[in-house]
Amino acid sequence: MRELIHRKLERTAIGFVLAIILAASVGGIVEIAPLFTIDETVEDVEDMRLYTPLELAGRNIYIREGCYACHSQMIRTLRDEVERYGPFSLAVESKYDHPMLWGSKRTGPDLARVGGKYSDFWHVAHLTNPRDVVPESNMPAYAWLARTPLRLDDLGSHLAAQRSVGVPYTDEMIENAARDAFGQAVPDSEQASGVTERYGEETQVSAFDGVATRVTEMDALVAYLQILGRLTKAAYQNTAAPEQVPDPSD
Amino acid sequence: MGQLTTRERDLAAAILLVLAIVGIAMAAAGRFDPIGVHGAIVLLYSLGLLYLIMSSSFGPPPDPSRISRYYDDPIKVGVWFTLLWAIFGMFIGVWAAAQLAWPSLNFDTAWASFGRIRPAHTTGVIFGFGGNALITTSFHVVQRTSRARLADQLSPWFVLFGYNLFCIVAVTGYFMGVTQSKEYAEAEWYADLWLVIVWVTYFVLYIRTLARRREPHIYVANWYYLAFIVVVAILHIINNLTVPVSLGHAKSYTIWPGVQDSMVQWWYGHNAVAFFLTAGFLAMLYYYLPKRAERPIFSYRLSILSFWGITFFYMWAGSHHLHYTALPHWVQNLGMTFSVMLLVPSWASAGNALLTLNGAWHKVRDDATLRFIMMAAFFYGLSTFEGSFLAVRPVNSLSHYTDWTVGHVHAGALGWVALITYGSLYTLVPAIWKRERMYSAALVEVHFWLAFAGTVIYVFAMWNSGIIQGLMWRTYTGEGTLAYSFVDSLVAMYPYYIARAFGGLLFLIGAVVATYNIWMTVRGVPALAERHEDVPVAAHLADGAATGPAE
Amino acid sequence: MDVTHATLVEAAKSWGLFYLIGFSICVIIYTFWPANRELFDRAKKGILDKDDQPWT
Repeated sequence: MRELIHRKLERTAIGFVLAIILAASVGGIVEIAPLFTIDETVEDVEDMRLYTPLELAGRNIYIREGCYACHSQMIRTLRDEVERYGPFSLAVESKYDHPMLWGSKRTGPDLARVGGKYSDFWHVAHLTNPRDVVPESNMPAYAWLARTPLRLDDLGSHLAAQRSVGVPYTDEMIENAARDAFGQAVPDSEQASGVTERYGEETQVSAFDGVATRVTEMDALVAYLQILGRLTKAAYQNTAAPEQVPDPSD
Repeated sequence: MGQLTTRERDLAAAILLVLAIVGIAMAAAGRFDPIGVHGAIVLLYSLGLLYLIMSSSFGPPPDPSRISRYYDDPIKVGVWFTLLWAIFGMFIGVWAAAQLAWPSLNFDTAWASFGRIRPAHTTGVIFGFGGNALITTSFHVVQRTSRARLADQLSPWFVLFGYNLFCIVAVTGYFMGVTQSKEYAEAEWYADLWLVIVWVTYFVLYIRTLARRREPHIYVANWYYLAFIVVVAILHIINNLTVPVSLGHAKSYTIWPGVQDSMVQWWYGHNAVAFFLTAGFLAMLYYYLPKRAERPIFSYRLSILSFWGITFFYMWAGSHHLHYTALPHWVQNLGMTFSVMLLVPSWASAGNALLTLNGAWHKVRDDATLRFIMMAAFFYGLSTFEGSFLAVRPVNSLSHYTDWTVGHVHAGALGWVALITYGSLYTLVPAIWKRERMYSAALVEVHFWLAFAGTVIYVFAMWNSGIIQGLMWRTYTGEGTLAYSFVDSLVAMYPYYIARAFGGLLFLIGAVVATYNIWMTVRGVPALAERHEDVPVAAHLADGAATGPAE
Repeated sequence: MDVTHATLVEAAKSWGLFYLIGFSICVIIYTFWPANRELFDRAKKGILDKDDQPWT
């Protein structure tokens, strides 16, 4: 009987395809399905904030340039990693990341907590030519970022798309996306105050690339690098040996 | 394309016109965005093909006796796609490798910086070279093992050219910075949608061809091709569920957040290795190895057991890419357990291949093509063992994020995927073009040693650098502080990065030699004398003269 | 029934195991079913036959 069924399955080929799907799908279902309810197990973090439009634009530049090919953003629960890079990464910290950028390779160091470790000026110099700052570095130079103006007009639709995949941007944030991005990189402008209003007092508003009149891709990328690991302080409350969140003004 | 009927040509022209209109629409909607450039590429691509179709539209109607022969024209074109993508992908790979040793080699341009050409390398090699090799050989194997002509004349072309359009859009996108940053799935939403259409056509064509067979049993190579087609479709769709910013934007955001995205991504990433780079190429092994060695496979039953083992186990293993991360612990453990269990079906396949050759080692010694296949099986065994080993948590804590992973991947990609592909191509090319032999056996031999030496140099360089890196990162001084800064570890890598680029260069030269050899085979080697005894009796009487080389 | 993370994890862990065992048993039965021997043998040797043309 069994054998008959099998013969028939094979003859139709479609049955065979079904068998393949049955065999192949279970592993994925078992491992992935429970993750949809993982929010229940992730502790609620109240201070978790959203990426500002400028930081999101910077994140998109990080994606565009393929930085993930050489830099991870995931500190593992190993002693040497925690001592080198900071407290290990928590699930909640990438809750608003679409996609996640945990990476798989460290040709360069991990960046999960690079935010605040170096000054804006250091980042700009390093991105302009990494070998000016770290002579041994093999990172490509990104000098042209400082010459390329950031596209602001479509940031609202970026935020809207983020909202449709589950990131809680408000209507107000979407409406003011372009203004906020400008304001965050031009501290003296009238748009600057709206940024801290909508995204929290601790949001860093500064002329990231050193030029306080216009917004470049360098502004966006540095703003993103400076927020890495600082969307919430939860990870610092978790470790055995508490560490301070780095503060660039020190 | 000479065998297409008038109706099929009209249909092809209609499809291409629709595609051209889509291209215009993309170009118009995305005029401020890279998607506009892709619109122009789609437009040019479809107009180019349309020109080809139109220019042959007044040719003579196809020979009715074609139905009694295999449909090999798409395979011939597919062989060229495979060879060209190999050279392109490997060239970009060597270039990227050289940039790690000499960072100024991007000449201060954005499009040539490492982060942009790296996905061009992986996509060019995996999807361009590997994918075309799989599609091409699957058309060959399914026809021969089912003793049936492809079910349709138009859809093989649609699959082949459609698939290559996907590859072109994907790769050109990376140079412009269009990427999802999902490893091995970097192509953006519109390319992904297009691939789904192509893939469904491929699946339907494959099933319809299989349905034409007489034998009730489907030969095991087809199982692997089917698993490749079906599972890659599932993986591709689930991993690429995204919301585009707008129809005029290349950019999209994946629906999966953080942790879920990591699991979905590596579930995809690892199973792309399983069902794209393993299952499909095992199909090649199970057909071209017995054919070339002229010996049946050692154990057919073992091949069935390992098929189901691979199909079942691989799906669980993806989470071993996420050891010690924020992914729940039990998922990491499942991934580790199944990765270790995976060794059993993997070695069953490798052992089955090597035991098939037992008693025919003199053939391996004399025939470089067979040696390609044998060495591929050996590297398959080696890299699956390494894979299971690296999936063990404590080992992974050292190896993850280092070059060891890169070495492991290339032991698989160069040693297994590329060697089995070239072994299959050297078997397939004379058969398809009905040539007595390859143009030069010596060049096959040269290619073998270039490929073998290149792989060994590459893999050893990466093993060394990876282990050194991993150890330096975790070395402590007597006082309990970290002994090396990150930059110290980077400085230690430079010699290995140079060695790696050199190994890759050797492999690339081998690929060029292979392409030249195949080109000369098609051009210059005399056609095979007709073998009347191969023709079924009825067909023989009907079209005795028509069995010559089908061009 | 309330579907919580814990229930999903438990179901995944236990049923996944049963599925694995059941599936392997089916595959082994199929592979070693005596009547299939001849079929497999034909498939194994069949591809080495001349195959220059499809069955018409």
